[in-house]
Amino acid sequence: MPRVSATEAASLRYVKQSFWKDALTNHPGVISIAVFVLVVATTFSIITDNFLTVHNLLAVLRQAAPLCIAAAAMTFVITTGGIDLSVGSVGAVAGVLASTAMHGWGVPVLPAIMLALLVGACIGSVHGYLIAFQGIPPFIVTLTSLFIYRGVALLLTEGYSIPIPSDSILAFLGRGWVLGIPMPVLLAGATLVAAYIALNHTRFGRYVVGVGSNAEGVRRSGVSIRKVRTLVYIWSSVAAAAAGLILTARLGSGSANQGVMFELDVIAAVVLGSTSLFGGRGSIVGTILGVLAISMIVNGLILAHVSPYYTQIATGLIIILAIWFNTWLLDRPARRVG
Amino acid sequence: MLRENNGALAPRPRVDMRGITKTYGPIRSLRGVDLSLAPGEVLGLVGDNGAGKSTLTKVLSGAVTPDGGTISIDGEEVRFNNPADARRKRIEMVYQDLSLCDTVDVAGNLFMGRELTRSFAGIPLLAHDAMHERARIMLQGLGIRIPDTHALVGNLSGGQRQAIAISRAISFEPLVLIMDEPTAALAVAEVEAVLEIIRNVSKMGVSVILVTHRLQDLFLVCNRIMVMYEGTNVATPEVASTSLSEIVELIVGHKFEAASARA
Ligand SMILES: Nc1ncnc2c1ncn2[C@@H]1O[C@H](COP(=O)(O)OP(=O)(O)OP(=O)(O)O)[C@@H](O)[C@H]1O
Ligand SMILES: [Mg+2]
Repeated sequence: MPRVSATEAASLRYVKQSFWKDALTNHPGVISIAVFVLVVATTFSIITDNFLTVHNLLAVLRQAAPLCIAAAAMTFVITTGGIDLSVGSVGAVAGVLASTAMHGWGVPVLPAIMLALLVGACIGSVHGYLIAFQGIPPFIVTLTSLFIYRGVALLLTEGYSIPIPSDSILAFLGRGWVLGIPMPVLLAGATLVAAYIALNHTRFGRYVVGVGSNAEGVRRSGVSIRKVRTLVYIWSSVAAAAAGLILTARLGSGSANQGVMFELDVIAAVVLGSTSLFGGRGSIVGTILGVLAISMIVNGLILAHVSPYYTQIATGLIIILAIWFNTWLLDRPARRVG
Repeated sequence: MLRENNGALAPRPRVDMRGITKTYGPIRSLRGVDLSLAPGEVLGLVGDNGAGKSTLTKVLSGAVTPDGGTISIDGEEVRFNNPADARRKRIEMVYQDLSLCDTVDVAGNLFMGRELTRSFAGIPLLAHDAMHERARIMLQGLGIRIPDTHALVGNLSGGQRQAIAISRAISFEPLVLIMDEPTAALAVAEVEAVLEIIRNVSKMGVSVILVTHRLQDLFLVCNRIMVMYEGTNVATPEVASTSLSEIVELIVGHKFEAASARA
């Protein structure tokens, strides 16, 4: 029998697949969450009267906007193999700071917004320094920040909620409509497009994936992985601040209790979207679908008149089932080989 | 020692490492190692597990900073604080653990750290098509057939992964190429291909350091063989004037001698 080398044999064994089969082999997680979103949408369309209306769907999107923005940045953090537990608290500080600056200190609206975002960037820099340069685990660093910044928000407000002028630009960003679409939705859309391009079409995105996959390998390739890690946490905190500002704007006032447990929604959305908690694998499209799934479940359960006491339990159960299914899907290729 | 096996060899060594030391906690990984390498020379590096081969080569590639000793490249003393510094001196290394990203595709790994970009509205975006095209040509040129440069490296076989790590190093057109056990996971035909690559690049003037436990390979491609023992270099015989049994003796025999001498 003629001998064929392993690499030649490999090219003989290579089968060109159709687009859909290709998508299923390369992105099984994203496909499965897409199916899940469809199932959720269909279910609520059937069991409730007004789920599938333009009005309701726009409301869902408007509600989902802050989650989208924070989750887009969290996708980068988790893809490097890290985590950011501080996003809810950082968002609260941003919202409270902007409203206090405007209401209490008489700062004009634009500087107030800039101040909030800048504080976000500073918080992220501290996270990045402690994690990337001092080697403290991200879980510890951002968990302590979760406590610290919630405390800072309480300190700033002394427990009151601080209104923002309803005719300011900030209020418009939270409640305005442009071309029939709510402002927050437009902002979230722009963030997602930017995040998609950054993750898939820039060097930074490539290094984010590389750091999560084999950080030492990327370092040996001459890339400053500390810089990559630091930037990821800066963006996460800035996005959290932006999300907090939009939430404040929508609610009409800054409150130290806004966005409690927000970080869990964000992480759930990202993981639901098939980004790997072990790092090295991330998908912005998956994150969008994860955000949609969570937001639609919350909205649908309300429309279906399920007692609010059950909503959290039901959301949690549905998410763990979806992730279980996803893990099963992602494991399949490995099982085929082994 | 006089050498006259190759008239093209420059009088000055391309790499000259002197008294290199490195300590990891309680372990003195390198206890003053000398290494010199001429342009176009292939130097075999052998020794027991834990002798310090990987540590020494990582020092030269900038991945590990030594505690002491000097490194000169073409007569000029250098300090490498990170792999990027060594790369600037055109020193490339294929690491024992390959340093590939499993969740990145073949082209992405080949171009890691030096991605091609094109400007779109002033933003540099990855030039995916160009990188895949260049990657295909790069692999073809080295006689490596990977069916698809879009395949994730994690899904490739051990030999294919090794081939990619080697192509990656060679594509930087190095002056010094260090290979730490490049043939460990390879079948017979692939080993032959790697040895052929080593012969070719050395003919083009590239200096090669080959770390391997396959002693028979050393006699096929090397000019000299450097034997390491417990963090020191014990001998560096010319291939022409040594034998497999002498090398084995140097690796194993010295162990007993040295141990009894110290006791
Ligand atoms: N990062 C590290 N931390 C602690 N000890 C280390 C480290 N790297 C190497 N060592 C130690 O240094 C010594 C030399 O290791 P090295 O990897 O250089 O050996 P080697 O000759 O390449 O062995 P092998 O043939 O098994 O690859 C070993 O005792 C090892 O345990
Ligand atoms: Mg080794």
